[in-house]
Amino acid sequence: MPTQRLFERIESIELQQISKKYGSRFAVESLDLSIEGGELLILIGPSGSGKTTTLRMINRMIEPDAGNILINGQNIIQLDPVSLRRNIGYVIQNIGLFPHMTIGENVGLVPKLEGWDEIRTTERVRHLLDFVSLPPDRFIKRYPRQLSGGQQQRVGLARALAMNPPLLLMDEPFGALDPILRKQLQKEFLEIKKEIGRTIVFITHDIEEAFRLGDRIAIMDNARLVQVGAPEDLIFEPVNDLVADIVDTDRKFKHMDTLNVKDLMTPLDAKYILDGSMDARNAVEIMKDRDTEIGIVFENGILIGKVEMVNLLKHEESHPFLRDIAKPMKVFAPRDSVATALSEMKKSGEYMAMVMNGDTVGGMLVSDEVLLKLI
Amino acid sequence: MAATSVILDATWEHIVLVYTTLFVSILVAVPLAFASLYNRRLASVVMNFANLVQAVPSFAVIAIVVPFLGIGFVPALIAIMLRALLPIIKNTYIGLTSVDPALIDYANGIGLSEWQIQRYIRLPNAYPAMFAGIKFAAILANSIAVLTAFIGSGGLGEIIFQGLIGYNTGKLLSGAIPAIVLALLIDYSFTLLEKKLTPQYMKS
Repeated sequence: MPTQRLFERIESIELQQISKKYGSRFAVESLDLSIEGGELLILIGPSGSGKTTTLRMINRMIEPDAGNILINGQNIIQLDPVSLRRNIGYVIQNIGLFPHMTIGENVGLVPKLEGWDEIRTTERVRHLLDFVSLPPDRFIKRYPRQLSGGQQQRVGLARALAMNPPLLLMDEPFGALDPILRKQLQKEFLEIKKEIGRTIVFITHDIEEAFRLGDRIAIMDNARLVQVGAPEDLIFEPVNDLVADIVDTDRKFKHMDTLNVKDLMTPLDAKYILDGSMDARNAVEIMKDRDTEIGIVFENGILIGKVEMVNLLKHEESHPFLRDIAKPMKVFAPRDSVATALSEMKKSGEYMAMVMNGDTVGGMLVSDEVLLKLI
Repeated sequence: MAATSVILDATWEHIVLVYTTLFVSILVAVPLAFASLYNRRLASVVMNFANLVQAVPSFAVIAIVVPFLGIGFVPALIAIMLRALLPIIKNTYIGLTSVDPALIDYANGIGLSEWQIQRYIRLPNAYPAMFAGIKFAAILANSIAVLTAFIGSGGLGEIIFQGLIGYNTGKLLSGAIPAIVLALLIDYSFTLLEKKLTPQYMKS
């Protein structure tokens, strides 16, 4: 029996004043959290802090004692749990592949229950196995215990994607893997994430993993949400010692004191460079072709500033020249301290700055990338 | 020594009795085992009753059926079933409950309905235990079916009893030997079936 497709895309998930008690102890207490469509939100915190309970309330594996959860504005209490779960991909640490089914049967189980015919199911299964880098001919007929842990984890991901769900819930999916394999799968997952563009809620206890994968990170402790924000928010403005401890602010700052901008800058890719005499409409076309969202404007070898696609689209009608609408950028010298540079960027809310050595371009300093390199 | 046609008839009666009983037992036991999953009280009643019946000597079970149901094929069937039910229920229940809870949880998480979890997850994982129970029940039924000749079930037991009463060793053996052969056949055929039905993943 096919279940209803509840949402094509996630616009938002709102957890409002969610509480769940076991006995006299709160597993989750008065939790408010907004998850934006398309983002990868990390839930991190000590064990027993309520991460898994929170996650499992989103697909109604656990019902909150108080509070509401809205997906695209609709209260999920009104949705049938089985159809809700079929619209949400679910991946867990111990993978949960069914041992009595082949890999093909595992991945194709929900499509089959949804009434897909065999040809369509097989096609989907093969596509998904390919997608997670498992050659279908070699794996489709095997049983889970004939696979390595990493391969099983890939199958788990393929299975979660079977119905093409717009939302994925992942509970420490790489937690049981050895560190090298974990890095490898994270790397692959990042590419998959780009490709599939869904909303993902991801639990981990590994802060490196959180920084690597997360768009935003929510830190939980003792049944409460302590802080949620982008990685740099947590590093530069931890609300308390626990957050500082988890993100290891001290160590990173210590590390950063010894580094200069040039150690962490990235080269300026030619595709970002635009000329100040170009008009906005031309620039939009060129940026589309180059698949970029920002441009760095130079004229006669001198840095003017940066332009962003979203702004250019607004100005398109009046054909201004880029030199007139480019916004000034922060400029640092290669020898400047990274810590100073980053906190200045943080203050003005910029995520990228230019590195100039006099009049010659040294490179770009991008705050996210800087953080990734520090980890 | 009994006539060949008599032995063949008795053997056929025996087989019919054993397999009919086994079939009915499975029909009763498997749903009861499933129902026990949902109701702890039922589970404890069923398990305790089955255990109790198992403790009573087979012959007493047969005897106790007579005042209530009289004699003949059906009372014999009931008597055998009372004994054969236990291993099937117990093993099925154990098979169903020993499925890794994480699998059930995961099945819930990907949106399987209660019924689908039973059908696609619990049942297949319970097969090996269930099958062991059925095999044991078959062997048990075969041996009790010899005794039920006393209450008019017919079958090989009848020839054996006639041999015993008349001190006729030839007749006794012409009932006993086919009964033993049948028992061996049941054991052998169920072992074969078991191998065939055991899920692939458990073999390699």
